[in-house]
Amino acid sequence: MENLYVILPMLLKIAVVVAVLLLLPLPLTWLERKIAGHIQQRPGPMRVGWHGLLQPIADGIKLLTKEDHIPSAADRTLFKMAPVVALVPPFVVFVAIPLGEPVTIFGTELMLSLSNMNVGLLFILAVSSIGIFGTILAGWASNSKYAVLGSLRAIAQMISYEIPMGFSVIGVVMLANSMNMMDIVAAQKNMWNVVYQPLGFFVFFVAGLAEVQRIPFDLPEAEGDLGAGYHTEYSGIRFSLFMLSEYLGVVIIGFLNVMLFFGGWHGAPPFIPDTVWLLLKVGFFIWVFMWFRFTFPRYRYDQLMAIGWKVLLPLSLVNILISGLFMF
Amino acid sequence: MARTRQQKQSWIGWLFFSDLWRALRLTLRYMFSRVITHRYPDHEKWQPYHRHRGHHFMKTNDKGDVNCVGCELCAKICPCDCITVVPYEDEKGNRRPKVFDINLSRCLYCGLCEDACPADAIKLGQEYEVASTTTEALIVHLDDLIAAPHKAEEGAGTVIPASLDKNGRGKTITQDNVKGHDWWQLLKREK
Repeated sequence: MENLYVILPMLLKIAVVVAVLLLLPLPLTWLERKIAGHIQQRPGPMRVGWHGLLQPIADGIKLLTKEDHIPSAADRTLFKMAPVVALVPPFVVFVAIPLGEPVTIFGTELMLSLSNMNVGLLFILAVSSIGIFGTILAGWASNSKYAVLGSLRAIAQMISYEIPMGFSVIGVVMLANSMNMMDIVAAQKNMWNVVYQPLGFFVFFVAGLAEVQRIPFDLPEAEGDLGAGYHTEYSGIRFSLFMLSEYLGVVIIGFLNVMLFFGGWHGAPPFIPDTVWLLLKVGFFIWVFMWFRFTFPRYRYDQLMAIGWKVLLPLSLVNILISGLFMF
Repeated sequence: MARTRQQKQSWIGWLFFSDLWRALRLTLRYMFSRVITHRYPDHEKWQPYHRHRGHHFMKTNDKGDVNCVGCELCAKICPCDCITVVPYEDEKGNRRPKVFDINLSRCLYCGLCEDACPADAIKLGQEYEVASTTTEALIVHLDDLIAAPHKAEEGAGTVIPASLDKNGRGKTITQDNVKGHDWWQLLKREK
């Protein structure tokens, strides 16, 4: 009976997180299409529901009722496994992301995260890198040139940008003296990290864009030269699982940008709750990612590699050096 | 290096991505500019200009008789041979059209019939919704031509509120005397 009080809120939190994350791509696809439209002076989806708000649901019905096609030459087991493998890591990442200070309900203290682990940042970076396995499996199992090329590009990009991303975070960890997400946010109570670490933020932002394969770094799914990259052969529900994991990746990078460099839930105007303020900041970053997507062209492959290794990696090392000198 | 410096750009600007900021500023301006899409056919409809060459119409005189004298010049000049005129002589001895058919599925709306007509009879009007489910319906006869809308006079080139007539032939319904907005003024152009 004693355990029930511990397990029940936990199960409730898990259910809420999973439900919200599964439904999150619906508004995000709508937002993306609206932004795409308005940048091109079009209204975007307009017919289904008020200003096309029900369009994602119509799209969802379409995706669910589509034929689930598996190419005859594909490796069936791996082909079926890949979307799930790609989907799990983004969900797991949210275990370590807190949404605010602990709140007290009915006399018990409730953490606004599933787990307040002391190496939260390391956990997030490590688990989000596992998502690449879904891409590798999808590209390999499809037995298609385009899919393999797309997944090869994704792997190379992931390896190149994981390193500057990890290095750029070190400055933040140095300032907070902790890898716990709560501590990192608490350390920014007086001043956001972006003021102390502009270079670190720049490197993290660009590497994050590359990590979630958004334009201008969306080479793994370049429509023009690869069909659709690693999910060329996927259709219906399996394809939508890939889309889901991609959008969740965008949300995670938005969360990390806000948590590490923009003070998490600190600095809220008096009438806005902390959690809402945090989500507003994350929404702003998601909007920026979409704005970038419809502004910039795609980098060439050698440019992508050059930016990763010759620009971002030295910059992130310089950032560590400068932070170290200042702290010393 | 991935980014090359432009001729006009300074090194400082290059270092702080002045080109990328310019692009972002441009798209941001567009994002909050007005939408220019016509919400045709169920919310808006574009009114053609006076010069628009659409569905043909036949002019009539004050007494309601058609201007056409059945000279067949339009049928002669028609490059796609889509006009059929069969003339007859009425009781007063005037040459009139008995049959005046235009095959809209062949017509290319060049307006040569309008130029060739000596009697100011056949004209190309403002109607542009001529879609049909049968080819037969696209062969329009004399009475259709008399009833067809004339050239646009007022409100030409504007977009006016409209609704879709679901029972009719898929045409839009517009009310008279509604002031539309000039669509071209909405277009945001960069200098």
